[in-house]
Amino acid sequence: MLLVGLVFLGPLAYVVWRNVELGTDLVAVIWDRETLEPLVRSLWLASTVAVSSAVVGTALAWLTVRSDLPARRFWKLLAPLPLVFPSFVGATALIAGFAPGGLAEELLSVVGGGSVPDVRGFRGAWLVLTLFTYPYVYLPVAARLAALPPSLEESSRLLGRSPFGVFRSVVLPQTAPAVWAGSLVVFLYAVSDFGAVALLGYDTLAEQVYADRLFNQPRAMGLSLVLAVVALIVIAGERAYERRHRVSELAARSAHPLIVPLGRWRPVAFAGVLVFLGSALIGPLAVFGFWAWRGVTSTSTSVGVATDFGDLLVPTLHSAQAGLITAVVAIAALLPLAWAIARYRSRRAGVANAMVAAGFALPGVVVALSLVFWVIDTPGVSIWYQTMPLLITAYVLHFGTLASRVTRVAVEAVPAQLGEAASTLGARRIRRFLTVELPLMMPGLLAGGGLVLLSTMKELPITLLLAPIGFDTLATKIWGAGEAGALAQGALASLLLVALSAVLTWAVVVRRIEEF
Amino acid sequence: MRLLRTVGLALVVAVLGTVVVSCGDGGSGDGSSLTVYSGRTEDLIGPLLEQFSNETGIDVEVRYGDSAELALLLQTEGSSSPADVFISQSPGALGLLAGEGMLAELPDDLTGRVSEGFAGSDHTWVGITGRVRVLVYNKDLVDPADLPQTVLDLAKDAYSGRVAVAPTNGSFQDFVTAMRSELGDQVTVEWLEGLAANQSPNYPKNSAIVEAVARGEVEMGLVNHYYNLRALEADPALASVNYFFPADDVGSLVIVTGGSVLASSDSQSAGEQLLAWLLSEDVQATFVTETQEYSLLPGAGRPEGVPELSGFAADTIDYDVLGGGLTATIEIIRESGIER
Repeated sequence: MLLVGLVFLGPLAYVVWRNVELGTDLVAVIWDRETLEPLVRSLWLASTVAVSSAVVGTALAWLTVRSDLPARRFWKLLAPLPLVFPSFVGATALIAGFAPGGLAEELLSVVGGGSVPDVRGFRGAWLVLTLFTYPYVYLPVAARLAALPPSLEESSRLLGRSPFGVFRSVVLPQTAPAVWAGSLVVFLYAVSDFGAVALLGYDTLAEQVYADRLFNQPRAMGLSLVLAVVALIVIAGERAYERRHRVSELAARSAHPLIVPLGRWRPVAFAGVLVFLGSALIGPLAVFGFWAWRGVTSTSTSVGVATDFGDLLVPTLHSAQAGLITAVVAIAALLPLAWAIARYRSRRAGVANAMVAAGFALPGVVVALSLVFWVIDTPGVSIWYQTMPLLITAYVLHFGTLASRVTRVAVEAVPAQLGEAASTLGARRIRRFLTVELPLMMPGLLAGGGLVLLSTMKELPITLLLAPIGFDTLATKIWGAGEAGALAQGALASLLLVALSAVLTWAVVVRRIEEF
Repeated sequence: MRLLRTVGLALVVAVLGTVVVSCGDGGSGDGSSLTVYSGRTEDLIGPLLEQFSNETGIDVEVRYGDSAELALLLQTEGSSSPADVFISQSPGALGLLAGEGMLAELPDDLTGRVSEGFAGSDHTWVGITGRVRVLVYNKDLVDPADLPQTVLDLAKDAYSGRVAVAPTNGSFQDFVTAMRSELGDQVTVEWLEGLAANQSPNYPKNSAIVEAVARGEVEMGLVNHYYNLRALEADPALASVNYFFPADDVGSLVIVTGGSVLASSDSQSAGEQLLAWLLSEDVQATFVTETQEYSLLPGAGRPEGVPELSGFAADTIDYDVLGGGLTATIEIIRESGIER
């Protein structure tokens, strides 16, 4: 476990070393209006996105798992998917749809005109990030609800509480750790994102790192360190908070999942879900569908409109492969850590956990370069340079926190007494784990794996720099098409990416969560 | 444990796939194979590199990426880099690596192929194609009579809020560096401050500006010439039109894409062979028709509907300055307050 922690130390140690090597004047870099203002913007954006994602993600999870919302199995399949849009892709779609002169204005002009709200700046960045990151909350909360014994809620109702009362007094306390874990991930993601904020013109710290990465490396590295420190402070704050507020959680397998009738709120809830998932998923899909359709039906052979399905077949397989392996490796690597934190309150594990979180808050380019730095001249490991194992390692370093946070919530929900009971009945350690604890944790582990899977499939800078030559994914294809101005091909690749995510999340995550 | 079986099976398939993939690439440094890091995208240059491979029997493997990020990768890899050749979208990234002594000196008969001024003065890189800076405008919103005679005019009140810029984009930074070397820092700073006072709308990159101009979100924007040509291919009905500044104006700067051979490469001569092939007349003609860029060979043809490359920049701009001066340029751009 210490070894796992040590590997996770890699990116942060690299950033510190580069700062020393370049002689970055950290005080001057930080104590500058050009740094402090973007920092404040980063924190403001990340906080607001975390709050809105928490609200939306939790509401959506409850509605799809616990209520009689119409077509909820369908929503359950769609709800995690917006996570797979690379944020620059989502922002592009939003701008194409809503910016002045965009598709929405064209539609409005048909029905007599009207103005479209300005989507640039803070509002646009907040909206795009909320729409594409709420699954970080949704998946763990849905998994938690699936594992929550309905008996508690039933008794509470029998005791005369209203549905809202039940939600507040039983459901919320039991799901709070999952909501909290998800919101933190959203916060860290929003701090590190630059694709959407750059396109929407909201200048954050991550965007500054990106702008300075080549020709002002001391500043870029100094700012990267600031990002990592922000992550460490947030994680430390979380641990301090946790020590004071602990709820005892329960998990059980249940044959009859509880379904709460929504009554007269049913149409309202349905309309809400429709509008929200409509903007997060169907809106961008419609824009891509339009571009791709224009390409498929066009007879022109120019790069701008040509589409080629065959060219995307291998990248589709590569995306699936990279996502699946990374998800399994991440869960396997971080389960022991999560176990140590949840069960033994280990201080060392807590520090390792903070390192894991820092890997998520650092921009992908920095994570990739750190691995280049540590591996390329190191005897014994240099032969792995730019091979699949190294690529997977880089993904796990970057996305590990997605697995560890959600996994921890899953471990905490397994009553320790259960294991003890099994062992008094004579079950050996491994058997006990496989038959008692693992099945109870499974919804949580699958949710964590699903987050890693979707995030890996959209990852770009690490893939470009560290993948074996020729290992192109759908994300690199979308990027390449964008660079070349080939809208149609990029849209086609985006549609394929969403379709692939739908198949995989359904097969590996959604269907399985229900089974347990 | 149906689940464990499914996950296990998926893993086996995935790992087998990995083995197959990693078996595909092997062998380098024996002179008959080249590893290329390319900042130019696959659909533009991939078919050409394949053709080179077929003609010469030299195996070519390509890593595609963003020019700036590939330069960072090369810098971090140092002398252990697997790369033999680096092809960049901008002279800035090449200049950075040249400054670190990572690029090999190219022979005179290679750098001498392009018109004077389109190769690094220390012969560490050679230009492959050229792009010209233009002002793209929306023909429904702008009267051509209102278009400026010089890029300097854009800082005047008359253009307040009308001209989009991409201050964090490499091409814009290269352009500002050229302006500094040509007109001096004072004129450049005043120009940037004028644009800042004009509240010129910011976009992250050229293509975003062209899209915004075509939609009518903003009237004009400073970009490279071929973005609009590509956008018009996708949708000929767009209202965006390229305006080329007069040839002697700094506004019509030529920005080159370039190639170089890594000093650490074991395949120097194969690398030089590739660059020479990219500069052959047939291949240059392909660039002109397919990607609508300018050829840098003396007397070469040019894309349809664009003026001759007699441009201002051809023999007056020192491209090395573009590499070395960028740090200061970025600082000047930031201090001008143009970034919004």
